[in-house]
Amino acid sequence: MSSPLVLLPGDEIPSEYLPSTSSAPLRLGAGLRLLSQPHPTTKSSSTPSHVLTATQAGILSTDNKRNAVSILSSPHRRYIPTANDLVIAQIHHSSPDYFHCMITPQAPHAVLGQLSFEGATKKTRPMLKQGDLVYARVLSTGLGAGAEVELACVNPATGRAEPGGLGPLNGGMVFDVSTGMAARLMKASSSSTGEHQQEGVAGLVVLDELGKKLEKAGGFEIAIGRNGKVWVDCSNSGDAAVKATVAIGRCLTTLDQHELTAADQKKLVSRVLRELKIEV
Amino acid sequence: MVAPSATLSTLNRADGSASYQCPSTGSNILGSVNAPVELPGRRDALRPEDATIEVFVKPGTAPAGVGERYVEGILKTLLGRVILGREKGYPRRGVVITLAIIGGENVSRGDPYLILLPALLHTALLALLSASVPLSMTFSATVLAVDAAGQILREPSAEDAATAQSLHVLAFSSKGHLLLNESQGAFDLDTWEKVRQRASAICHGTQLVSADGDVAMAEDVDGRPLEGSLREMVEDQVYRDYNWQINAA
Amino acid sequence: MNKEAPLSIAERDFILDALREDVRLDGRAADELRPLKVTFGEEYGHVKVQLGRTSLVTRISAEVTKPHDDRPFDGLFTIAMELTAMGSPAWDNGRQGDLETYVTNVLDRVIRHSNALDTESLCIVKGVSCWSVRADVHITDYDGNLIDAACMGIMAGLQHFRRPDAVVKDGQVIVYGLDERVPVALNITHKPLAVTFHSFDEGKRVILDATRKEEQAAEADVVFGLNNAGDLCFMSKFSGSPVDAMVFVNKTSVALDKVKEINGIIDKALQADLAKRAKKGMAEESRAENDR
Repeated sequence: MSSPLVLLPGDEIPSEYLPSTSSAPLRLGAGLRLLSQPHPTTKSSSTPSHVLTATQAGILSTDNKRNAVSILSSPHRRYIPTANDLVIAQIHHSSPDYFHCMITPQAPHAVLGQLSFEGATKKTRPMLKQGDLVYARVLSTGLGAGAEVELACVNPATGRAEPGGLGPLNGGMVFDVSTGMAARLMKASSSSTGEHQQEGVAGLVVLDELGKKLEKAGGFEIAIGRNGKVWVDCSNSGDAAVKATVAIGRCLTTLDQHELTAADQKKLVSRVLRELKIEV
Repeated sequence: MVAPSATLSTLNRADGSASYQCPSTGSNILGSVNAPVELPGRRDALRPEDATIEVFVKPGTAPAGVGERYVEGILKTLLGRVILGREKGYPRRGVVITLAIIGGENVSRGDPYLILLPALLHTALLALLSASVPLSMTFSATVLAVDAAGQILREPSAEDAATAQSLHVLAFSSKGHLLLNESQGAFDLDTWEKVRQRASAICHGTQLVSADGDVAMAEDVDGRPLEGSLREMVEDQVYRDYNWQINAA
Repeated sequence: MNKEAPLSIAERDFILDALREDVRLDGRAADELRPLKVTFGEEYGHVKVQLGRTSLVTRISAEVTKPHDDRPFDGLFTIAMELTAMGSPAWDNGRQGDLETYVTNVLDRVIRHSNALDTESLCIVKGVSCWSVRADVHITDYDGNLIDAACMGIMAGLQHFRRPDAVVKDGQVIVYGLDERVPVALNITHKPLAVTFHSFDEGKRVILDATRKEEQAAEADVVFGLNNAGDLCFMSKFSGSPVDAMVFVNKTSVALDKVKEINGIIDKALQADLAKRAKKGMAEESRAENDR
């Protein structure tokens, strides 16, 4: 990657930065819009008469494989539901057909069908109450102004909880992180299964490090929501469960506030575990 | 002329924020943006397909009064023109902008609020960028005073403003459109044209000034254009936020 | 809306479970404050308080006005706090919520009613003119313990503030500008601060300086207002489940330690700022001499 291109709203994206590998249509991600005004500097009529401009400040990010382009904007921003994102939602109340859930505070509720769980029937559906947490996927954000966001804990095509882990989250604890950190954690945890191809995806080694250190104590379960929530459960750790959970939470929130190098992240993990007197 | 300075994303709870230091008035303004949020009781807005913009200006050492309501109106109109309230997630929701004057002199009741307006506008813009609210373009603004001798004074102090013949606040979009023109006092059209050219030079440098003008000197007097300073503040923050990625690449 | 989003059951249960093991989410002990930073701005009476992730700016200002008819020897002192959407997205601009009313009331009683600022010293001419001192509290980030943080901000501000000098000459009041005459410090009679505790687990666990999530998970809160000498000027337990009387007895001594600790931090910051100003003043003086 050459030096990153920082854009401000209204800036045009120079065509040399766009992926040019395939003939497939270009996918526009967040922070960009297509304007069909004629480009003032192009003289030839063969070039398309529209321009791509930024609507948010950030770094231009291109994905040649998917032929996609988007803008990485402020990591502290508020989460806006987008189809296929995985989120951690909190039940607010339920109606005969739906659970009404909170994804971000001070935002309208999203709906989650009472039967949108793996293997759920009228008799076997989960009985969730106010304050319960679910790990769900954003099914659709609806059309038109003020449409409701719909969530699901099941893939409607297969009837399975795909990817694994969707459904009610029991016990454990949730920690708040920035939306940018949530996206990075997600990237890091999804590629860490492939066994060290590279040190630290998205600049994060903290989860791997915690996993290694806490393995003996019983390990932990984690679910990351794009809405800036991380759910952690250490109930396998027996007596150390509470301390291990607190340790993970403190590592994540510290890292969210102060950017740390891979070596410093490892030091942070050791320091926090030592302070909480967790034996590794 | 000392360039203004600012830091973005200084607050934890707000979705976006900016702390802005204006060298000429000495005021320090803190801005926060929460968006998109649900505005209870205002769900049936006049334009349901668009976002509702709310601006709140809080003076540092006095209760808010008529002056604050007046600038809130100006800010709301201008920001409404650049915020893309129909982008995903925004229709029927609110964009809540709060600006607090937390340092420097207050505008006392009855004094012209215009001298603070550019600083308020810049703070609001930077906070909106920090919250990643979609905008069609950015803008920059300045305030000019014309004294009895016809001299144009850039970013006057409160005393200068009180004795000036007229005060003018102009804002230009990053594309060069005139976005805002608020004037106060007595002046003629020729004066206004001069003011416009000078303001445009302050905001964008001289390239936008009409070719016949003799204002080429303006750039030397006014230092670098405001547009560039604002861009740099945002770029600094973006580099800080994505340090991990830039270093890895 | 004016209401923070409710906690999830998981958060509520976990905070309680952790407290039963004497563990707090940020690793503090039950009676430990979050890191406190008090800094002063350019002008007198401009304070920034950072208590963990709660932060606020206090500004003190003074103007000459007419005293109330029934109290001709007293100056005026007001504390103005407005919760805006800046501190928390849950707060509405321009609408007073329950929290705002409650906190303003406590601040009034801890600082104003305990006569921390000697209002009689603000009188200029009996029944004709006096100083009106105003403390504006701007909450910039809210993560719990608003009352304690606001008290620190106001008290630090009152000690830092200098009002312009005013003299009466031939029945005329002359107010000198800050650059004409050395401005005057306010007359502070004592330094009261508030210390808030939250109780959990049927009153068995009591913690100090709770974060927002801890506040939400708590059963009840107890506020003490006291000064360095240990004089109690305010005590309240407005709502929540009952708290054992022994808690009050035990925690007043903890509160006194904390008040001394906080006042120490404020004093240190005041001294550092004074030294900085003295140095700057000297530098300016020598520059002025050079100019001549």
